[in-house]
Amino acid sequence: MKRLPRSLVLWPALVLGWVLLSGSALQAYHWGLPAWVPRPVEPADNPMSAAKVELGRHLFYDQRLSADNSMSCASCHQQDKAFTDGKSLSEGVTKEKGSRSAMSLANVAYLPVLTWANPNLTALEVQALVPLFGEHPVEMGMAGREKELFARLQADARYRELFAKAFPAEANQGAQALYSLSTLTKAIGSFQRSLLSFDSPYDRYQYGGQKDAISASAKRGEALFFGEKMECYHCHGGFTFTDNIRHQKLPLAEQGFHNTGLYNLDGRGAYPANNVGISELTGNPDDMGQFRTPTLRNVALTAPYMHDGSIPTLQQVIREHYAQAGRAGNTPAGPNPMRSSLIAGFEITQQEVNDVVAFLNSLTDESFVKNPKHSDPWGKAPKSK
Amino acid sequence: MKQLIIAVAALTLAACNTVPTAPKTAQVSLNFAAQINGQPFACGQRYDGVGTTRSSITPSDFRMYVSEVKLLRQDGSAVPVQMAQDGIWQHQNVALIDFENGIGPCRNGTTATNTAVRGQVPAGDYVGVELTVGVPFALNHQDPTVAPAPLNSTAMFWNWQGGYKFIKFDTTSSGISTDKPAAPNAMGPVTRYSVHLGSTACAGDSKTQAPSSCQNPNRMTVRLNQFDLAKNTVVVDMGAVLAQANVDVNAKGTSPGCMSFLKDADCPPVMSALGLAYDGVAAAGAQRLLSQR
Repeated sequence: MKRLPRSLVLWPALVLGWVLLSGSALQAYHWGLPAWVPRPVEPADNPMSAAKVELGRHLFYDQRLSADNSMSCASCHQQDKAFTDGKSLSEGVTKEKGSRSAMSLANVAYLPVLTWANPNLTALEVQALVPLFGEHPVEMGMAGREKELFARLQADARYRELFAKAFPAEANQGAQALYSLSTLTKAIGSFQRSLLSFDSPYDRYQYGGQKDAISASAKRGEALFFGEKMECYHCHGGFTFTDNIRHQKLPLAEQGFHNTGLYNLDGRGAYPANNVGISELTGNPDDMGQFRTPTLRNVALTAPYMHDGSIPTLQQVIREHYAQAGRAGNTPAGPNPMRSSLIAGFEITQQEVNDVVAFLNSLTDESFVKNPKHSDPWGKAPKSK
Repeated sequence: MKQLIIAVAALTLAACNTVPTAPKTAQVSLNFAAQINGQPFACGQRYDGVGTTRSSITPSDFRMYVSEVKLLRQDGSAVPVQMAQDGIWQHQNVALIDFENGIGPCRNGTTATNTAVRGQVPAGDYVGVELTVGVPFALNHQDPTVAPAPLNSTAMFWNWQGGYKFIKFDTTSSGISTDKPAAPNAMGPVTRYSVHLGSTACAGDSKTQAPSSCQNPNRMTVRLNQFDLAKNTVVVDMGAVLAQANVDVNAKGTSPGCMSFLKDADCPPVMSALGLAYDGVAAAGAQRLLSQR
């Protein structure tokens, strides 16, 4: 049988492929995920690109995004704390405290629903508007000042280059299209989606075949965590350790809001009035105290704990909250009657608590919190006059 | 290029050759309907007269895995249904039947529902159906976090060692118990009660390694001997399962309701109604979960 020389067939295809790929918009984004982790779902209107991630990183760390140039996204989402801020409640530019604790941004690309208590907030691009422009509470304080914001950005030569690279189509439509809430939030959302954490000692133990990557204590803690006494894994399950997940191999996104019985102010399940969970938005009293399950990856770095940062340490979370069928179980009002059925309380020894904490510590991903790709690109963040 | 053309031609020829002799296949759909004591199941709806205390319950989840579906011939032989591999509800010979629609108290569920097993069988006359409630052992103990759909739903994780929840039924009940004496309001949730069926006593090296076997597989295999797929529906009634249970209380120190684990006083009436032995005691009779109409 006669054959065409392979090179003759291949060359035109290779040249065509190179031409197609060399356009930056067509370059496939490299997620840098280990082979066992399924890829996140990209929003149809905001596919990932390295250029958007890089622009988003500059914006994320830029204090010019706040009213008085004092705060950036990174003020409350600090890399060394797995993108939390170490505070019970976060403060905005007016020093007004919000009512909830800053959540970790590790693996937010996998979340179908964001934040502690808003089931309707499902896109990072939309969520970004809350800290930027929110007035209750004021966070970055930019409400009504978006023109000023875009003028600040446009005046910086570095941004002119970054925006043009990230949004070539918008760049062709002029400055108004290029410097807009749409491009701003798409870039910040893209950077947040790039914050992937799957390189903890536990990952090396469970998925990397390194039997000694975690301690004997952590292995005992793993058994308790996945056991029916503590029931932790029912909500903190899956490879992101939360029951809120969406990815390319999971056609139906899952969400999990739960009442863990932290409060029971009136004996009938009430939470503090400024923090009633999703019932604030659903209007349904049965939803009292339900908050979204946070990831436990890097949890050793994200103290203090719970939606209002009201528990300082993991030891206390286990002993003083979950072991008591919810912290309210230890108060005169008793356990919250509306808590999740899985919050039943348990007897636990100090050794067992130590073991569970050792397991939780094994979920800390040092390469994530030190990854230069996630760090401040400005050196010293510039301020506008 | 030429090779490709030849390959296509060969395939076409092969197809022509085999068509006349290939057995004809039939697309089939086995339909399910959920109910509570005869009333259609709906998220957030209140059902009265449930269990020994005639309690009222408001369900918040109802899903189950069905596997190894076979159609029965007149002579009693069983022909496996080849499930369509849809990438969502069905994988190999397992399907997730999902009655909840994410509405109201089912919020932690999914909007999409699935009430049928779809697949194909060799064309022929079939008079009945056999199915298993549960996930086959070979698929039940893999790492669920990296499994394909529908075996990667975190809601259906049992644990890595024990496999999946074969049935997940969650509800609140209106009764007052010693555990939860204070009712938020007359209609509101007081006791949370669950029926989670799964394999127990599975021996393995660690909680996240696959076991070699389970003492209590707890898979329910049910035959409906006179079942016409075109006309009949498999009825799944949790009210019948709870008939001898007290849904207003939970045995102290045990999982809420019955989660299949041993030494739970809430379990004997539930497991018996599922037709499964529990703690060494055989079921009182046949399963009462599935019937047909």
